[in-house]
Amino acid sequence: MTDQTVFLRLGPFTAALTTPFADVVAQLKLLYPPQFFPKSADFADFHVALLPGKGLRRVFRPQARFLIDGHAHFKPLPRSQALPLVEWGLNYAIAGLAHQYLIVHAAAIEKNGRVAILPGAPGAGKSTLTAGLIYRGWRLLSDELALIRRSDGQIVPLARPVNLKNESIALMQRFAPSAVFSAPAHDTAKGTVALMRAPEDSLVKVGQAAPSGWIIFPQWRKGEPARLTPFSKPAGLVELGHNAMNYSLHEAQGFELLADIFAGSGCYRFTYGDLNEAASAMNALAAA
Amino acid sequence: MSALRQQLDAGGATIWRLVDGMRWRAWEGEAVAYNDRTGDTHHFADFAAWIFARLCASSASAEDLERDAAESVELASGASIADTVERTLALLRRLEMIEPAA
Repeated sequence: MTDQTVFLRLGPFTAALTTPFADVVAQLKLLYPPQFFPKSADFADFHVALLPGKGLRRVFRPQARFLIDGHAHFKPLPRSQALPLVEWGLNYAIAGLAHQYLIVHAAAIEKNGRVAILPGAPGAGKSTLTAGLIYRGWRLLSDELALIRRSDGQIVPLARPVNLKNESIALMQRFAPSAVFSAPAHDTAKGTVALMRAPEDSLVKVGQAAPSGWIIFPQWRKGEPARLTPFSKPAGLVELGHNAMNYSLHEAQGFELLADIFAGSGCYRFTYGDLNEAASAMNALAAA
Repeated sequence: MSALRQQLDAGGATIWRLVDGMRWRAWEGEAVAYNDRTGDTHHFADFAAWIFARLCASSASAEDLERDAAESVELASGASIADTVERTLALLRRLEMIEPAA
């Protein structure tokens, strides 16, 4: 195995990924368009590596290690989970290093020039909802990390594959038959995981930031109709702050950024049980 | 005078004000505030939001707050305005959000 280094554009960032795993690079090239892989880069924000495990594990229980600037920040995973490890590792690098943005653990999608920020605890159905909506007219800015620009509060796109888990994978394969998926990785800490490529429109417009229009806290509930319920902005701000990766680092400016976003946005709780109904409700909101 | 009042207001009718560096917004009768001293963000609803907004407008003693509240706030039946003011001031003091005006 020979190491190769590929450059990968991640929204406003460039990552330099060094790895001997050609199959992982091939999967990444399935999930990102060719223009996201520049042949060279004057500068890389993140220097990361995906390497085999050490010692006898290389033979008996192959593993993959993810390094940022030469340092391992988490334990190796089975080799079969190398692709999601890259995506999770890049999220970790962005969340830990890109403090020029206020970074919120939330999806961000845009329609009619305004962004819906969708924070969600694990299991809330955030990624499934996001995946569904970007195949019903919304543009993907981010599935996991909403980047809030400090200078003007706009949301900066970080259009990357959507991370789907377990039942959501088959659901989205039915919901969006034209979508491109990675091979599933089984038995991860999150169950079975597959990555879904972002729609072409989202990838083409990766340079176009947009202002927030709505902050929506989604919650999937089996069998429930789609329902948007107005939610207290002060309570929403505190909750969104808890979902931010670096809110405390930005101190008063972080509060002012979020406060300005809430001042100009609607704030809702959103329960849904069916993706088509959810898309109708969200499209009606965007059209209002 | 209750023990809480004595603890809060040992010198008599202390005038309370927000500490410097407080940032806040209010929407629909609720407030959210960032305390630059502690780095904490707090959400106030109901009567606490009213008291916080009142102190944002100007410094006030517990007696001022009770008088103003009696004119403009309806508490849940059975609740005492004086007790609620005391408890809320104690909370704001504990959160390092108010201090005696010099």
